[in-house]
Amino acid sequence: MGVSQRAIPGFAVTTARLFGIQSAFSYERMLGIGFGHAVEPLLRPLRERDGGAPYRDALARQSRFFNAHPYFASIAVGAAARAELDGEAPERVERMRTALCGPLGALGDRLIWAGWLPACVALGLVLVTLGARGWGVAAFLVLYNVVHVVLRVWGLRAGWRAGLRVSGALGHPLLRQGLVSVGPLAALAVGAALPMVLGWVVRRGLAWSLVWEHFLTVVVGTVLFVVVLQRLHARLSGLGLAMVVMGAAVVGGVVWP
Amino acid sequence: MTPGDVLGVTAVGVVVGVDLVTVPQAMTGRPLVAAFVGGWIAGSPIYGLLIGVVLELFALETLPVGASRYPDWGPPSVAAGALFQPGPDGVFATPFWPWLLSLVLVAALVAWLGGWAMDAVHRANGAAIVRRAAALDAGDPRALIGLQAWGFVRDAGRAALLTLVALLLGGFVAQVVADQWRASPAVAENAVLAAAMGVAAAAAWRLYARGKTARWLVAGVGAGLAGALLWV
Repeated sequence: MGVSQRAIPGFAVTTARLFGIQSAFSYERMLGIGFGHAVEPLLRPLRERDGGAPYRDALARQSRFFNAHPYFASIAVGAAARAELDGEAPERVERMRTALCGPLGALGDRLIWAGWLPACVALGLVLVTLGARGWGVAAFLVLYNVVHVVLRVWGLRAGWRAGLRVSGALGHPLLRQGLVSVGPLAALAVGAALPMVLGWVVRRGLAWSLVWEHFLTVVVGTVLFVVVLQRLHARLSGLGLAMVVMGAAVVGGVVWP
Repeated sequence: MTPGDVLGVTAVGVVVGVDLVTVPQAMTGRPLVAAFVGGWIAGSPIYGLLIGVVLELFALETLPVGASRYPDWGPPSVAAGALFQPGPDGVFATPFWPWLLSLVLVAALVAWLGGWAMDAVHRANGAAIVRRAAALDAGDPRALIGLQAWGFVRDAGRAALLTLVALLLGGFVAQVVADQWRASPAVAENAVLAAAMGVAAAAAWRLYARGKTARWLVAGVGAGLAGALLWV
Protein backbone atom coordinates (compact mmCIF):
# COMPACT_ATOMS: atom_id res chain seq x y z
CA MET A 1 0.00 0.00 0.00
CA GLY A 2 1.46 3.36 -1.03
CA VAL A 3 1.57 6.36 1.24
CA SER A 4 1.27 9.99 0.16
CA GLN A 5 4.59 11.83 0.08
CA ARG A 6 2.90 15.03 1.15
CA ALA A 7 1.35 13.85 4.40
CA ILE A 8 3.54 12.49 7.15
CA PRO A 9 1.36 11.14 9.97
CA GLY A 10 2.95 11.75 13.38
CA PHE A 11 5.66 13.94 11.87
CA ALA A 12 5.68 16.49 14.72
CA VAL A 13 5.80 13.87 17.47
CA THR A 14 8.52 11.93 15.71
CA THR A 15 10.53 15.12 15.21
CA ALA A 16 10.29 15.88 18.94
CA ARG A 17 11.27 12.33 19.85
CA LEU A 18 14.33 12.47 17.58
CA PHE A 19 15.94 14.92 20.02
CA GLY A 20 15.89 12.17 22.65
CA ILE A 21 16.96 9.33 20.40
CA GLN A 22 19.88 8.46 22.70
CA SER A 23 17.93 8.48 25.99
CA ALA A 24 18.13 4.70 26.41
CA PHE A 25 21.57 4.38 24.80
CA SER A 26 23.18 1.01 25.59
CA TYR A 27 26.16 -0.89 24.26
CA GLU A 28 23.94 -3.76 23.15
CA ARG A 29 21.45 -1.84 20.98
CA MET A 30 23.13 1.59 20.85
CA LEU A 31 20.41 3.95 19.53
CA GLY A 32 17.98 1.11 18.81
CA ILE A 33 15.47 1.81 21.58
CA GLY A 34 15.41 5.53 20.77
CA PHE A 35 15.01 4.68 17.09
CA GLY A 36 11.95 2.56 17.85
CA HIS A 37 10.55 5.25 20.14
CA ALA A 38 11.03 7.94 17.48
CA VAL A 39 9.60 5.95 14.57
CA GLU A 40 6.56 4.69 16.50
CA PRO A 41 4.21 7.63 15.72
CA LEU A 42 4.89 7.19 12.00
CA LEU A 43 3.98 3.50 12.23
CA ARG A 44 0.57 4.03 13.83
CA PRO A 45 -1.37 3.62 10.56
CA LEU A 46 -0.21 -0.01 10.66
CA ARG A 47 -2.30 -0.58 13.80
CA GLU A 48 -5.37 -0.71 11.57
CA ARG A 49 -4.04 -3.59 9.46
CA ASP A 50 -4.50 -7.26 10.41
CA GLY A 51 -5.37 -6.55 14.03
CA GLY A 52 -2.18 -4.55 14.58
CA ALA A 53 0.27 -7.39 13.94
CA PRO A 54 2.22 -5.44 11.25
CA TYR A 55 2.54 -2.51 13.69
CA ARG A 56 3.96 -4.68 16.48
CA ASP A 57 6.28 -6.56 14.12
CA ALA A 58 7.58 -3.30 12.65
CA LEU A 59 8.10 -1.76 16.08
CA ALA A 60 10.04 -4.80 17.28
CA ARG A 61 12.23 -4.63 14.16
CA GLN A 62 12.87 -0.91 14.49
CA SER A 63 13.91 -1.24 18.15
CA ARG A 64 16.84 -3.52 17.41
CA PHE A 65 20.48 -2.47 17.17
CA PHE A 66 21.10 0.79 15.37
CA ASN A 67 24.09 3.08 15.50
CA ALA A 68 24.70 6.35 13.69
CA HIS A 69 25.28 10.00 14.39
CA PRO A 70 22.23 11.13 16.40
CA TYR A 71 21.39 14.04 14.07
CA PHE A 72 21.59 11.97 10.89
CA ALA A 73 19.67 9.05 12.40
CA SER A 74 16.56 11.00 11.37
CA ILE A 75 17.23 10.03 7.75
CA ALA A 76 17.08 6.36 8.69
CA VAL A 77 13.99 6.89 10.85
CA GLY A 78 12.10 8.49 7.95
CA ALA A 79 13.26 5.88 5.46
CA ALA A 80 12.44 2.94 7.75
CA ALA A 81 8.97 4.30 8.51
CA ARG A 82 8.25 4.79 4.83
CA ALA A 83 9.47 1.31 3.95
CA GLU A 84 7.35 -0.27 6.69
CA LEU A 85 4.23 1.62 5.61
CA ASP A 86 4.87 0.70 1.98
CA GLY A 87 4.84 -2.95 3.03
CA GLU A 88 8.41 -3.73 2.02
CA ALA A 89 9.77 -7.14 2.98
CA PRO A 90 11.14 -7.15 6.55
CA GLU A 91 14.54 -8.43 5.47
CA ARG A 92 14.90 -5.53 3.00
CA VAL A 93 14.03 -3.01 5.72
CA GLU A 94 16.52 -4.56 8.11
CA ARG A 95 19.19 -4.63 5.43
CA MET A 96 18.65 -0.92 4.79
CA ARG A 97 18.92 -0.08 8.50
CA THR A 98 22.14 -2.03 8.79
CA ALA A 99 23.59 -0.50 5.65
CA LEU A 100 22.88 3.06 6.85
CA CYS A 101 24.75 2.77 10.18
CA GLY A 102 28.26 3.26 8.82
CA PRO A 103 27.62 6.06 6.30
CA LEU A 104 25.38 8.08 8.65
CA GLY A 105 27.89 7.73 11.47
CA ALA A 106 30.85 8.74 9.33
CA LEU A 107 28.95 11.66 7.80
CA GLY A 108 28.00 13.04 11.21
CA ASP A 109 31.45 12.58 12.68
CA ARG A 110 33.10 14.50 9.85
CA LEU A 111 30.46 17.13 9.27
CA ILE A 112 29.41 17.86 12.87
CA TRP A 113 31.81 16.58 15.53
CA ALA A 114 35.05 17.36 13.70
CA GLY A 115 33.72 20.28 11.64
CA TRP A 116 30.68 22.33 12.47
CA LEU A 117 30.93 22.01 16.27
CA PRO A 118 34.57 23.14 16.60
CA ALA A 119 33.95 25.89 14.03
CA CYS A 120 31.00 27.28 16.01
CA VAL A 121 32.77 26.94 19.37
CA ALA A 122 35.81 28.74 17.99
CA LEU A 123 33.66 31.51 16.55
CA GLY A 124 31.97 31.90 19.93
CA LEU A 125 35.37 32.10 21.62
CA VAL A 126 36.57 34.74 19.15
CA LEU A 127 33.44 36.82 19.73
CA VAL A 128 33.94 36.61 23.51
CA THR A 129 37.53 37.79 23.19
CA LEU A 130 36.36 40.72 21.07
CA GLY A 131 34.09 41.88 23.89
CA ALA A 132 30.79 40.24 22.94
CA ARG A 133 30.58 38.52 26.37
CA GLY A 134 27.28 36.65 26.69
CA TRP A 135 26.35 37.52 23.11
CA GLY A 136 29.30 35.41 21.97
CA VAL A 137 27.82 32.47 23.88
CA ALA A 138 24.39 33.13 22.39
CA ALA A 139 25.85 33.41 18.88
CA PHE A 140 27.53 30.01 19.31
CA LEU A 141 24.32 28.34 20.47
CA VAL A 142 22.12 29.87 17.76
CA LEU A 143 24.54 29.26 14.90
CA TYR A 144 25.22 25.67 15.92
CA ASN A 145 21.61 24.77 16.55
CA VAL A 146 20.20 26.23 13.35
CA VAL A 147 22.15 23.57 11.47
CA HIS A 148 21.42 20.95 14.14
CA VAL A 149 17.64 21.39 14.00
CA VAL A 150 17.54 21.77 10.21
CA LEU A 151 19.48 18.52 9.83
CA ARG A 152 17.10 16.57 12.07
CA VAL A 153 13.98 17.90 10.32
CA TRP A 154 15.40 17.69 6.79
CA GLY A 155 16.73 14.19 7.47
CA LEU A 156 13.33 12.89 8.53
CA ARG A 157 11.67 14.34 5.44
CA ALA A 158 14.42 13.18 3.10
CA GLY A 159 14.30 9.65 4.49
CA TRP A 160 10.52 9.59 4.29
CA ARG A 161 10.56 10.73 0.66
CA ALA A 162 13.18 8.18 -0.36
CA GLY A 163 12.18 5.05 1.56
CA LEU A 164 14.46 2.18 0.56
CA ARG A 165 16.20 4.42 -2.01
CA VAL A 166 17.53 6.57 0.81
CA SER A 167 21.16 6.38 -0.26
CA GLY A 168 20.39 9.16 -2.76
CA ALA A 169 19.66 11.55 0.14
CA LEU A 170 23.24 11.13 1.34
CA GLY A 171 24.45 12.57 -1.95
CA HIS A 172 22.53 15.82 -1.49
CA PRO A 173 24.58 18.73 -2.94
CA LEU A 174 24.47 20.68 0.32
CA LEU A 175 25.89 17.75 2.27
CA ARG A 176 28.65 17.26 -0.32
CA GLN A 177 29.48 20.97 -0.25
CA GLY A 178 29.36 20.95 3.54
CA LEU A 179 31.88 18.13 3.72
CA VAL A 180 34.24 20.08 1.45
CA SER A 181 33.88 23.40 3.27
CA VAL A 182 33.51 22.56 6.94
CA GLY A 183 37.04 21.24 7.52
CA PRO A 184 38.81 24.39 6.28
CA LEU A 185 36.25 26.56 8.10
CA ALA A 186 36.84 24.76 11.39
CA ALA A 187 40.63 24.83 10.94
CA LEU A 188 40.55 28.57 10.26
CA ALA A 189 38.25 29.33 13.19
CA VAL A 190 40.05 27.13 15.73
CA GLY A 191 43.44 28.45 14.59
CA ALA A 192 42.25 32.03 15.04
CA ALA A 193 40.59 31.36 18.39
CA LEU A 194 43.62 29.95 20.20
CA PRO A 195 45.92 33.04 20.19
CA MET A 196 42.98 35.36 20.80
CA VAL A 197 41.78 33.35 23.79
CA LEU A 198 45.25 33.27 25.25
CA GLY A 199 45.59 37.03 24.94
CA TRP A 200 42.15 37.58 26.42
CA VAL A 201 42.56 35.26 29.42
CA VAL A 202 46.02 36.56 30.30
CA ARG A 203 44.75 40.12 30.03
CA ARG A 204 42.03 39.41 32.65
CA GLY A 205 44.50 38.86 35.46
CA LEU A 206 47.45 41.11 34.68
CA ALA A 207 48.46 44.61 33.73
CA TRP A 208 49.38 45.01 30.06
CA SER A 209 53.05 45.58 30.92
CA LEU A 210 53.28 42.04 32.27
CA VAL A 211 51.17 40.33 29.66
CA TRP A 212 53.71 39.57 26.96
CA GLU A 213 56.27 37.99 29.27
CA HIS A 214 53.61 35.52 30.43
CA PHE A 215 52.26 35.15 26.91
CA LEU A 216 55.63 33.90 25.70
CA THR A 217 56.06 31.56 28.69
CA VAL A 218 52.71 29.99 28.00
CA VAL A 219 53.44 29.66 24.28
CA VAL A 220 56.68 27.80 25.03
CA GLY A 221 54.82 25.58 27.54
CA THR A 222 52.11 24.91 24.96
CA VAL A 223 54.62 23.84 22.32
CA LEU A 224 56.31 21.49 24.80
CA PHE A 225 52.90 20.11 25.77
CA VAL A 226 51.97 19.41 22.14
CA VAL A 227 55.29 17.69 21.45
CA VAL A 228 54.92 15.43 24.50
CA LEU A 229 51.32 14.65 23.59
CA GLN A 230 52.24 13.75 20.02
CA ARG A 231 54.75 11.24 21.33
CA LEU A 232 52.46 9.76 24.00
CA HIS A 233 49.16 10.07 22.18
CA ALA A 234 48.41 6.36 22.07
CA ARG A 235 48.94 6.05 25.82
CA LEU A 236 47.68 9.35 27.21
CA SER A 237 44.88 11.75 26.26
CA GLY A 238 45.37 15.50 26.32
CA LEU A 239 43.12 15.75 29.35
CA GLY A 240 45.13 13.07 31.14
CA LEU A 241 48.40 14.89 30.54
CA ALA A 242 46.80 18.20 31.52
CA MET A 243 45.60 16.73 34.82
CA VAL A 244 49.11 15.44 35.53
CA VAL A 245 50.65 18.87 34.76
CA MET A 246 48.08 20.82 36.77
CA GLY A 247 48.22 18.31 39.64
CA ALA A 248 51.99 18.67 39.80
CA ALA A 249 51.62 22.46 39.80
CA VAL A 250 49.08 22.28 42.65
CA VAL A 251 51.32 20.04 44.76
CA GLY A 252 54.33 22.23 44.00
CA GLY A 253 52.43 25.43 44.76
CA VAL A 254 51.17 24.16 48.12
CA VAL A 255 54.38 22.58 49.44
CA TRP A 256 56.59 25.42 48.15
CA PRO A 257 59.02 26.38 50.99
CA MET B 1 26.51 30.34 48.42
CA THR B 2 22.92 29.98 49.61
CA PRO B 3 20.91 26.72 49.47
CA GLY B 4 18.88 28.41 46.73
CA ASP B 5 22.06 28.96 44.71
CA VAL B 6 23.06 25.31 45.19
CA LEU B 7 19.61 24.22 44.02
CA GLY B 8 19.74 26.53 41.00
CA VAL B 9 23.23 25.44 40.00
CA THR B 10 22.28 21.77 40.39
CA ALA B 11 19.16 22.25 38.26
CA VAL B 12 21.24 23.84 35.51
CA GLY B 13 23.80 21.06 35.96
CA VAL B 14 21.08 18.51 35.23
CA VAL B 15 19.94 20.37 32.11
CA VAL B 16 23.45 20.65 30.66
CA GLY B 17 24.39 17.15 31.83
CA VAL B 18 21.55 15.39 30.03
CA ASP B 19 22.23 17.51 26.97
CA LEU B 20 25.46 15.66 26.20
CA VAL B 21 23.89 12.33 25.23
CA THR B 22 20.26 12.01 26.30
CA VAL B 23 18.37 15.09 25.14
CA PRO B 24 18.68 17.30 23.05
CA GLN B 25 22.42 17.47 22.19
CA ALA B 26 22.13 21.23 21.66
CA MET B 27 25.60 21.79 23.15
CA THR B 28 24.35 23.67 26.21
CA GLY B 29 26.79 21.44 28.10
CA ARG B 30 29.82 23.05 26.43
CA PRO B 31 31.91 24.81 29.11
CA LEU B 32 31.56 28.13 27.30
CA VAL B 33 27.80 27.99 27.87
CA ALA B 34 27.54 26.06 31.13
CA ALA B 35 30.13 28.06 33.08
CA PHE B 36 28.65 31.33 31.84
CA VAL B 37 25.23 30.30 33.14
CA GLY B 38 26.77 29.10 36.43
CA GLY B 39 28.48 32.47 36.85
CA TRP B 40 25.28 34.26 36.01
CA ILE B 41 23.39 32.35 38.73
CA ALA B 42 26.11 33.17 41.27
CA GLY B 43 26.11 36.86 40.35
CA SER B 44 29.08 37.45 38.06
CA PRO B 45 28.65 36.03 34.55
CA ILE B 46 31.90 37.55 33.29
CA TYR B 47 34.02 35.43 35.63
CA GLY B 48 31.90 32.40 34.78
CA LEU B 49 32.66 33.20 31.16
CA LEU B 50 36.38 33.48 31.91
CA ILE B 51 36.65 30.03 33.46
CA GLY B 52 34.30 28.71 30.78
CA VAL B 53 36.68 29.91 28.06
CA VAL B 54 39.60 28.16 29.77
CA LEU B 55 37.62 24.92 30.18
CA GLU B 56 36.45 25.15 26.58
CA LEU B 57 40.07 24.83 25.46
CA PHE B 58 40.20 21.43 27.20
CA ALA B 59 36.83 20.43 25.75
CA LEU B 60 37.98 21.11 22.18
CA GLU B 61 39.74 17.76 22.39
CA THR B 62 36.47 15.94 23.12
CA LEU B 63 34.69 14.37 20.17
CA PRO B 64 31.49 12.77 21.51
CA VAL B 65 31.66 9.84 19.13
CA GLY B 66 29.29 6.90 19.67
CA ALA B 67 30.30 4.34 22.26
CA SER B 68 33.68 5.86 23.12
CA ARG B 69 34.14 7.16 26.67
CA TYR B 70 34.56 10.92 26.78
CA PRO B 71 34.50 13.54 29.55
CA ASP B 72 31.25 15.28 30.46
CA TRP B 73 32.12 18.96 30.85
CA GLY B 74 28.63 20.35 31.50
CA PRO B 75 27.99 19.76 35.24
CA PRO B 76 31.53 20.63 36.44
CA SER B 77 31.55 23.73 34.23
CA VAL B 78 28.34 25.03 35.78
CA ALA B 79 29.80 24.45 39.23
CA ALA B 80 33.16 26.05 38.34
CA GLY B 81 31.40 29.09 36.87
CA ALA B 82 29.36 29.49 40.04
CA LEU B 83 32.40 29.11 42.32
CA PHE B 84 34.82 31.38 40.44
CA GLN B 85 33.33 34.58 41.80
CA PRO B 86 34.79 37.68 43.44
CA GLY B 87 33.54 38.94 46.79
CA PRO B 88 30.87 41.63 47.13
CA ASP B 89 33.57 44.29 46.75
CA GLY B 90 34.58 42.84 43.36
CA VAL B 91 37.90 41.50 44.70
CA PHE B 92 38.79 37.81 44.91
CA ALA B 93 39.28 36.66 48.51
CA THR B 94 41.73 33.98 47.34
CA PRO B 95 44.66 34.53 44.95
CA PHE B 96 43.24 34.74 41.41
CA TRP B 97 45.44 32.30 39.46
CA PRO B 98 45.78 29.56 42.17
CA TRP B 99 42.00 29.69 42.60
CA LEU B 100 41.50 29.39 38.83
CA LEU B 101 44.00 26.51 38.58
CA SER B 102 42.36 24.64 41.48
CA LEU B 103 38.88 24.99 40.02
CA VAL B 104 40.00 24.00 36.53
CA LEU B 105 41.71 20.90 37.93
CA VAL B 106 38.58 19.99 39.93
CA ALA B 107 36.40 20.51 36.85
CA ALA B 108 38.71 18.36 34.74
CA LEU B 109 38.64 15.55 37.32
CA VAL B 110 34.85 15.67 37.62
CA ALA B 111 34.46 15.79 33.82
CA TRP B 112 36.64 12.68 33.57
CA LEU B 113 34.58 11.05 36.33
CA GLY B 114 31.48 12.02 34.37
CA GLY B 115 32.66 9.90 31.44
CA TRP B 116 32.88 6.86 33.72
CA ALA B 117 29.48 7.65 35.23
CA MET B 118 28.03 7.86 31.71
CA ASP B 119 29.46 4.42 31.03
CA ALA B 120 27.65 3.12 34.13
CA VAL B 121 24.37 4.68 32.94
CA HIS B 122 24.72 3.01 29.53
CA ARG B 123 25.35 -0.35 31.20
CA ALA B 124 22.31 0.15 33.44
CA ASN B 125 20.25 0.96 30.34
CA GLY B 126 21.50 -2.27 28.78
CA ALA B 127 20.46 -4.29 31.82
CA ALA B 128 17.00 -2.69 31.74
CA ILE B 129 16.67 -3.54 28.05
CA VAL B 130 17.50 -7.19 28.77
CA ARG B 131 14.75 -7.24 31.43
CA ARG B 132 12.21 -5.87 28.91
CA ALA B 133 13.41 -7.99 25.98
CA ALA B 134 10.19 -10.01 25.74
CA ALA B 135 8.03 -6.90 25.57
CA LEU B 136 10.36 -5.33 23.01
CA ASP B 137 10.29 -8.43 20.84
CA ALA B 138 6.49 -8.32 21.01
CA GLY B 139 6.52 -4.72 19.72
CA ASP B 140 5.06 -3.18 22.89
CA PRO B 141 5.33 0.63 22.62
CA ARG B 142 5.00 1.01 26.42
CA ALA B 143 8.29 -0.84 26.86
CA LEU B 144 10.00 1.71 24.62
CA ILE B 145 8.50 4.66 26.49
CA GLY B 146 9.48 3.17 29.85
CA LEU B 147 13.06 2.51 28.78
CA GLN B 148 13.43 6.00 27.33
CA ALA B 149 11.99 7.59 30.49
CA TRP B 150 14.21 5.60 32.85
CA GLY B 151 17.23 6.30 30.70
CA PHE B 152 16.51 9.99 31.12
CA VAL B 153 16.06 9.61 34.90
CA ARG B 154 19.38 7.76 35.25
CA ASP B 155 21.23 10.39 33.27
CA ALA B 156 19.57 13.25 35.17
CA GLY B 157 20.59 11.62 38.47
CA ARG B 158 24.14 11.23 37.20
CA ALA B 159 24.27 14.90 36.18
CA ALA B 160 22.87 16.09 39.52
CA LEU B 161 25.39 14.01 41.44
CA LEU B 162 28.29 15.27 39.35
CA THR B 163 27.21 18.88 39.80
CA LEU B 164 26.96 18.48 43.58
CA VAL B 165 30.33 16.73 43.77
CA ALA B 166 31.97 19.52 41.78
CA LEU B 167 30.17 22.28 43.65
CA LEU B 168 30.48 21.09 47.25
CA LEU B 169 33.35 18.62 47.52
CA GLY B 170 35.34 20.08 44.62
CA GLY B 171 34.71 23.63 45.77
CA PHE B 172 35.95 22.79 49.27
CA VAL B 173 39.12 21.10 47.99
CA ALA B 174 39.85 23.93 45.55
CA GLN B 175 39.39 26.48 48.32
CA VAL B 176 41.85 24.64 50.59
CA VAL B 177 44.43 24.42 47.79
CA ALA B 178 44.10 28.10 46.89
CA ASP B 179 44.31 29.16 50.55
CA GLN B 180 47.48 27.08 51.10
CA TRP B 181 49.20 28.34 47.93
CA ARG B 182 52.77 29.47 48.68
CA ALA B 183 54.51 29.69 45.31
CA SER B 184 54.29 32.62 42.93
CA PRO B 185 50.84 32.98 41.30
CA ALA B 186 52.70 32.88 37.98
CA VAL B 187 53.30 29.14 38.53
CA ALA B 188 49.55 28.58 38.64
CA GLU B 189 48.96 30.87 35.68
CA ASN B 190 51.56 29.22 33.48
CA ALA B 191 50.43 25.71 34.44
CA VAL B 192 46.73 26.25 33.73
CA LEU B 193 47.23 28.21 30.53
CA ALA B 194 49.95 25.96 29.11
CA ALA B 195 47.82 22.88 29.86
CA ALA B 196 44.67 24.41 28.36
CA MET B 197 46.43 25.79 25.30
CA GLY B 198 48.43 22.57 24.95
CA VAL B 199 45.32 20.37 24.89
CA ALA B 200 43.56 22.68 22.42
CA ALA B 201 46.62 23.06 20.18
CA ALA B 202 47.23 19.30 20.17
CA ALA B 203 43.58 18.71 19.25
CA ALA B 204 43.78 21.29 16.43
CA TRP B 205 47.00 19.70 15.22
CA ARG B 206 45.49 16.20 15.24
CA LEU B 207 42.30 17.27 13.44
CA TYR B 208 43.49 19.86 10.95
CA ALA B 209 47.25 19.77 10.43
CA ARG B 210 47.07 17.40 7.47
CA GLY B 211 46.03 17.85 3.86
CA LYS B 212 44.07 20.86 2.69
CA THR B 213 43.02 22.00 6.14
CA ALA B 214 46.63 22.53 7.28
CA ARG B 215 47.03 25.80 5.38
CA TRP B 216 43.71 27.03 6.79
CA LEU B 217 44.92 26.23 10.30
CA VAL B 218 48.11 28.23 9.72
CA ALA B 219 46.09 31.10 8.25
CA GLY B 220 43.81 31.01 11.27
CA VAL B 221 46.69 31.13 13.73
CA GLY B 222 48.13 34.09 11.82
CA ALA B 223 44.82 35.90 11.87
CA GLY B 224 44.39 35.08 15.56
CA LEU B 225 47.81 36.45 16.45
CA ALA B 226 47.02 39.65 14.57
CA GLY B 227 43.67 39.83 16.32
CA ALA B 228 45.25 39.29 19.74
CA LEU B 229 47.78 42.06 19.09
CA LEU B 230 45.32 44.55 17.64
CA TRP B 231 41.98 44.05 19.36
CA VAL B 232 41.99 41.76 22.38
